[in-house]
Amino acid sequence: MSRQYDVVVIGSGVVGSSIAYHLSERKTKKVAVIDKGFILTGTSGSTQAWVWVHNKTPSWYGELSMYSAELYPTLKKRIGDVEYKRTGGIAPFFDEKDREHALRLAEMQEKVGIDVKVLTREELLEKEPFLSEKAAGATYSDIDGNVNPFRLVELYTKAAKKNGVDFSFYNPVTEIRRDKGYYQIRTEKEGVFTAKQIVLAGGVWTGELGRMLDITIPVKQVRGQILVTEPLEPFIQTTIAGVRQAENGEVLIGYSKEEVGYNRQTTLDVMQETAGMALDYFPVLAEANVVRCFSGVRVIPKDGLPILGQIPGMENAYVAVTHSGVTLSPLIGTLMTELVMDRETSLDLSKMSLSRFERSAAGELIV
Amino acid sequence: MDKSVIVCKCEEVNIDEIETALKTGARHFDDVKRLTRCGMGPCQSKLCGGLVRRVISEYRNVSISEVEPPKKRMPISMIRLKALATDKEATKVISVFKESVSGVSRS
Ligand SMILES: Cc1cc2nc3c(=O)[nH]c(=O)nc-3n(C[C@H](O)[C@H](O)[C@H](O)COP(=O)(O)OP(=O)(O)OC[C@H]3O[C@@H](n4cnc5c(N)ncnc54)[C@H](O)[C@@H]3O)c2cc1C
Ligand code: FES
Repeated sequence: MSRQYDVVVIGSGVVGSSIAYHLSERKTKKVAVIDKGFILTGTSGSTQAWVWVHNKTPSWYGELSMYSAELYPTLKKRIGDVEYKRTGGIAPFFDEKDREHALRLAEMQEKVGIDVKVLTREELLEKEPFLSEKAAGATYSDIDGNVNPFRLVELYTKAAKKNGVDFSFYNPVTEIRRDKGYYQIRTEKEGVFTAKQIVLAGGVWTGELGRMLDITIPVKQVRGQILVTEPLEPFIQTTIAGVRQAENGEVLIGYSKEEVGYNRQTTLDVMQETAGMALDYFPVLAEANVVRCFSGVRVIPKDGLPILGQIPGMENAYVAVTHSGVTLSPLIGTLMTELVMDRETSLDLSKMSLSRFERSAAGELIV
Repeated sequence: MDKSVIVCKCEEVNIDEIETALKTGARHFDDVKRLTRCGMGPCQSKLCGGLVRRVISEYRNVSISEVEPPKKRMPISMIRLKALATDKEATKVISVFKESVSGVSRS
């Protein structure tokens, strides 16, 4: 059985589903999305979902994040209510000596148009009265916020389906071959899909997809664990780097990094450290109950920056893999659609090309 | 059965909502959980786990053992944050602020 498409997107996380939706808006190409699981079984189902800009560096990366955040308000009209809230974002520091670093960051971000304020303790406590008085200050920007990641991916896929995109779930891609200008994508459950153009959006597994094409896509797996409290009265106003309160009152806490491969367990030591951080930020949380805990594996390109664009030397094959995929998804969908459909993009993607990773004489990738 | 019957009491999710999720391709408990929030309440699916899996197995027409149960994670029951916290020096939890300004000094 063979299935013919103009474009096949592999991966239906926030990145793949946004690309599929944006492609489908043009209504000119036959598009399919294949996923070895279901929507949200990957990293997009276990994320903090800050739409976060203000302290992303280098500044061109911050700038990119800002353009993406600016697309969020219109998503509601286009795909439905993804519960996006531009709350403003705060990254506290606890040592007065850090103010100097904060001011340098603000200065640097200003050059690309990101408005970062450096708050005094009083200004900070005015914004977040329950924050610990031990905080010395914070960086802050109006541009940051958060979104409901479940609704976001659900609505991207729903809108894409409405525009005629086919989805094939629980169907791992096992082999990709190029034959007479077409890609033959072999799957475990539904035979071979044929496509003129393919987009690799396999999140943390994108390296494996690359290997099917004999391409090295250098990404790391970095686990993050999050604690969730019982629903509490609203007491946090903004999105705080490490702590946010969801619409239903639950508080999501955590910012941990461990390189343990694909392992998605939660571990007591990190839960304890995370609870410790929660109390450093919000002493009032001491009496709150933790009801659950989750863990996800971030996909982080070796140099920390997005890999986005055409695969060098491979016509009609594209890759989109990045950390902060939630923040960047509206922009990635937009740019990848321009690239796939029009072959040129409104923003220069050259810094994000896979070609930046060069090989040493021994064949090792150099970052 | 009446489709408006609530199967997850904590999050007030009814059979109709579970079936809507299944219609889009969900297969297992956690797939349905992420779309409907069933199982995310204070009891962490202890009360609804079995019932929801039965609804799924009937809809998909497979035996209940083919429907993966919710992933079990700590804490087994609610625990106060202060009881969980340590003030040991954190090694895996990091400060977003520190991380971002280290980027400034790098560039
Ligand atoms: C704890 C944590 C907190 C985070 N916080 C934030 C945040 O606050 N803000 C933010 O913007 N980002 C955050 N992130 C990062 C963000 O969640 C990810 O960047 C994003 O979810 C990645 O999306 P994706 O679509 O690339 O990957 P995924 O959601 O993992 O999707 C990839 C899909 O590809 C499929 N796939 C892979 N291989 C194959 C194959 N061979 N065949 C078929 N299908 C395949 C998988 O099944 C999967 O569904 C966080 C991540 C973690 C873990
Ligand atoms: S009844 Fe479903 S989570 Fe408690």
